Amino acid sequence: MEPELATPFRERAGRALDDRFLQEALTVATTKFITLRREAFAELPEGDALRDQARAIKEATLQRLDYWLERLIERIESRGGHVHYATSADEARRVVLDIARRTGARMAVKSKSMATEEIHLNDALQAAGVTPVETDLGEYIIQLAHERPSHIIAPAIHKTKGQVAELFARELGRETEPDPEVLTRIARAELRQKFLDADLGISGANFAVAETGTVVLVTNEGNGRMVTSLPRVHVAVMGVEKVIPSMTDLAVFLAILAKSATGQKLSVYTSLVNGPRRGGEPEGPEELHLVLLDNGRVRQIAGPLREALNCLRCGACLNVCPVYRQIGGHAYGYTYPGPIGILLTAMLNGPAAVKDLAHASSLCGACMDACPVRIDIPKMLIELRREVDQQGIAPWPERAVFGAFAWLLQRPRLYRLSARLGRLLQRPFVRGGRIRWLPGLFGEWTRTRDLPAVARRTFHERWAALEREARR
Amino acid sequence: MTTKAEFFDRIRAEMARTPGRAPSALAARPVRPREGLDVLRRELSERWRENLDRFQHELERVGGVLHRVAEAGEVPDVVAQIAAERGMHRVVTWPRDTLGVDVAAPLITRGFDAAVMPGTEVAAAERARLRGLAAAADLGVTGAEVAIAETGTLVVVSGAGRPRSTSLLPACHVAVFERDVLVESLVQMGLVLEAWHEGAEPSWRGAAINFITGPSRTADIELTLTRGVHGPKEVHAVFVERGLSVARRA
Repeated sequence: MEPELATPFRERAGRALDDRFLQEALTVATTKFITLRREAFAELPEGDALRDQARAIKEATLQRLDYWLERLIERIESRGGHVHYATSADEARRVVLDIARRTGARMAVKSKSMATEEIHLNDALQAAGVTPVETDLGEYIIQLAHERPSHIIAPAIHKTKGQVAELFARELGRETEPDPEVLTRIARAELRQKFLDADLGISGANFAVAETGTVVLVTNEGNGRMVTSLPRVHVAVMGVEKVIPSMTDLAVFLAILAKSATGQKLSVYTSLVNGPRRGGEPEGPEELHLVLLDNGRVRQIAGPLREALNCLRCGACLNVCPVYRQIGGHAYGYTYPGPIGILLTAMLNGPAAVKDLAHASSLCGACMDACPVRIDIPKMLIELRREVDQQGIAPWPERAVFGAFAWLLQRPRLYRLSARLGRLLQRPFVRGGRIRWLPGLFGEWTRTRDLPAVARRTFHERWAALEREARR
Repeated sequence: MTTKAEFFDRIRAEMARTPGRAPSALAARPVRPREGLDVLRRELSERWRENLDRFQHELERVGGVLHRVAEAGEVPDVVAQIAAERGMHRVVTWPRDTLGVDVAAPLITRGFDAAVMPGTEVAAAERARLRGLAAAADLGVTGAEVAIAETGTLVVVSGAGRPRSTSLLPACHVAVFERDVLVESLVQMGLVLEAWHEGAEPSWRGAAINFITGPSRTADIELTLTRGVHGPKEVHAVFVERGLSVARRA
């Protein structure tokens, strides 16, 4: 299911670092995203207050999650919509396939949805004889390339225009210059008829408003509107944590979401879907289905990753992360990359899945600063590291070294002795007060960072000397 | 398959294990949103000029164009000019009732191929034909239920005589609006939405509410801004000072 995982994380990361195309694309894109976001919030003096408010709303909703979900379901059903319940990814796939089968769908147009990426819906649709067509330009590109998204909101961030032009020539038989304008026009033409022909529209949901039974989609290209308006049946797949109580709350989230994601004041299209087509309306789907997805979320209501349930999927933490900026999304190996992606991967796949990834962070805290709802990602990453260690799934050298260190710290005399010993042994390796290279197992540390040398006089020794002086 | 009861049992079991810990508060909702909206509209009616200027500034920032006309009767002129300048010929438009002005007839007189969308329920085959018209059209003319100054956003609501595709499928979208639909901010738009959903909804309103902030765009290839991916490449807002009569606001 996760093809990238055939190679170990370190190798994947190393390969990304050696990929010059990727390095350039990542630097340009993330730097631009950071600038756009900063400019957008500079124009919004109440931005910080809105972020605090958004965070408080998310927590309040979570504290009464059952109530708000019940309310949402009641309102959607009163409008003639259908709600389905999926505990696992497998169940979510089966729910969507059942709907596709019942409606006799041959082709499904999709608007960008991380929830459907997470459950690997496209493979399942294909196997069941329903052709899935990704319509977000970035998603369309990576679908043609048989790849997976490398960024939550810019899935093809890792591709250059030249690579896209080559791809279109190969897959669509359209030879063209590597000009984004021309390439976009080709995609528009390719996809237009598919929107009109598809029987099934599949989307995610950025929010669902409980009091009104409204599914909310935020897009820039207009494909979200197509997918929810043109096909006969619309299915939205949504994690349970996306419910919010009211339209007043929605206004707060809309005020910060696009600014955090792309630096826009508002994305081009915010679509509020209030059920299937109504009497008198000339267009709109005959059927609306909402699939409520658990897939590991519910057990975190009382779990160590509870705060990660507040995530809006804006991608801001990816752009500022020094690790993501170096290795990109694919090296992480799972659906959700970046700092929040590590937490979501642990949520979906269990802590064992992140035994390496939990360390793919410098804990600098830039992610938390950028997060529109101020999720304390570093704190949870540390907790994950502890959990990975306690469950004995951390790599053995790591456990051995830290185990030995812990044992030593509890024995002051031995610890002091070891400092003196270290001072002796380090001699051949110290250059300018730092150790840049160590042999064997210890080389794992110095491979990517320096180690400060043991001081000529340790703190213990200086303290003891001070005490002697004071007594005199 | 998981039943609703099983699904909620698991959620409640987890909730029972966590007392609310972190600070939490929902946004303060208006108690009587419709009354609140009436009061707001009266206040806004005194600031519409400033708000229109702000709207224009923000719309232009996202690549849209504002046109101002004094009388509703001038709207067809503006539409004709936009179409002519771009060599566009086929126009679809909302009917007079929902647009507030008849655009099609004057356009046909000038030689454009203009089709009016129906104002009442039509059979499925006819609906398919109308959608085909919208898909083939170069330019679509709609109304707008709200214009948000802070963001340059046009809010378009679907319904009878308000097909969604008119503002979506043609390469150029023209939205016609008047002063009393202007609001200042997203927060005020929250109040509008609360008011719209208080009590039973009026029958004219359909299932889709769309915020449209400028032309369709993407930056998916090397973060290069490109307009008109799936939705319109151009968005024009026509502000009408007097004489627009839209049958709505029940």
